[in-house]
Amino acid sequence: MTEDWRLIDMRIEDAPTQMAIDEAIAMARLRYNTPNTIRLYRWKPSAVSIGYFQSLEKEVNLDACRKFGVDVIRRITGGGAVYHDYNGEITYSFVVPESERCVPSDILESYQVICGAIVNGLRYLGVDSEFKPVNDIVAGGKKISGNAQTRRHGVILQHGTILVDSDLERMFQVLRVSEAKISDKLIKAVQERVTNIRKYLGKDLGFIEVRDALVRGFEETFDVNLIAGDLTSEEEEMVKDLRQKYLSYEWVHQR
Amino acid sequence: MGASKMKAEYKIPGGKLLSCEIGIEDEVIKTIKISGDFFMHPEDAINELEVTLLGTSIQSYQDRILKFFQKREITLYGVSQQDFITVIQIAIDSE
Repeated sequence: MTEDWRLIDMRIEDAPTQMAIDEAIAMARLRYNTPNTIRLYRWKPSAVSIGYFQSLEKEVNLDACRKFGVDVIRRITGGGAVYHDYNGEITYSFVVPESERCVPSDILESYQVICGAIVNGLRYLGVDSEFKPVNDIVAGGKKISGNAQTRRHGVILQHGTILVDSDLERMFQVLRVSEAKISDKLIKAVQERVTNIRKYLGKDLGFIEVRDALVRGFEETFDVNLIAGDLTSEEEEMVKDLRQKYLSYEWVHQR
Repeated sequence: MGASKMKAEYKIPGGKLLSCEIGIEDEVIKTIKISGDFFMHPEDAINELEVTLLGTSIQSYQDRILKFFQKREITLYGVSQQDFITVIQIAIDSE
């Protein structure tokens, strides 16, 4: 029989709330025996998230963020900086116990499997993409999705960005790209290394269409039914507390 | 001799970027902050690594790093133990 997982569907929240929800779901999974959960969501206002180990000042143009009303947040996951464009980006998150057989215990292999669900979903939109280790998905040689995973509380939490119609010009106004990183790749414009679904397909797609394809990708990859649900009251309580952490100066500026 | 603050950036072959800010006084590490877009599991091990290096001489910090990773079960992606040594050495040599 096909298992049911919980889908928390296209919830729109600000950056600290989104990051608090992902962490709360991971914390609650074994403590309260909540279901395996997939979230699809959007950030309002648009935000930059940086990896746990990244330097805020180095990665983010804070003046530009202020000017454009873009939030800045530090994730609990490693990896790079992401621009979450409210009008052009969907983020997913994925929470299952480490003991779950459908996900390999090896971290690199598990990236491949979870990113495989995104690749499958994108295929339904006509986007031919592939997983590129360690943590990217590329289409036509350009990055269309970035992903990051942590393991804690006996649980795998992976979240990632899917670029639907992100404003790539704005992206590189709010993100700082290190000179060391550009020169190594010998590419004139970093913009050329990133794409989005609209650019790839040469046509507009609505968020609903992309959402439907991603749901199908996850359902088929893990052979599950995604059933729309909400956070439990325990999770909502955790979100309130965790949100304060993500808002705190100590957290955001720790590196 | 005396005190100095140094910075280094090191582009790891394969894509990730590693940065380091280090304060050295009389050849001893007094402050250190490592940053980058790599992955370390568990994540908070980075704070322990930095604390381990405080008070270490610039001659013996490599040993400290290797021992730190021997002692603990830490998984690295996009970065290696040697990369941490490399970026710190670049910073030290930049004086």
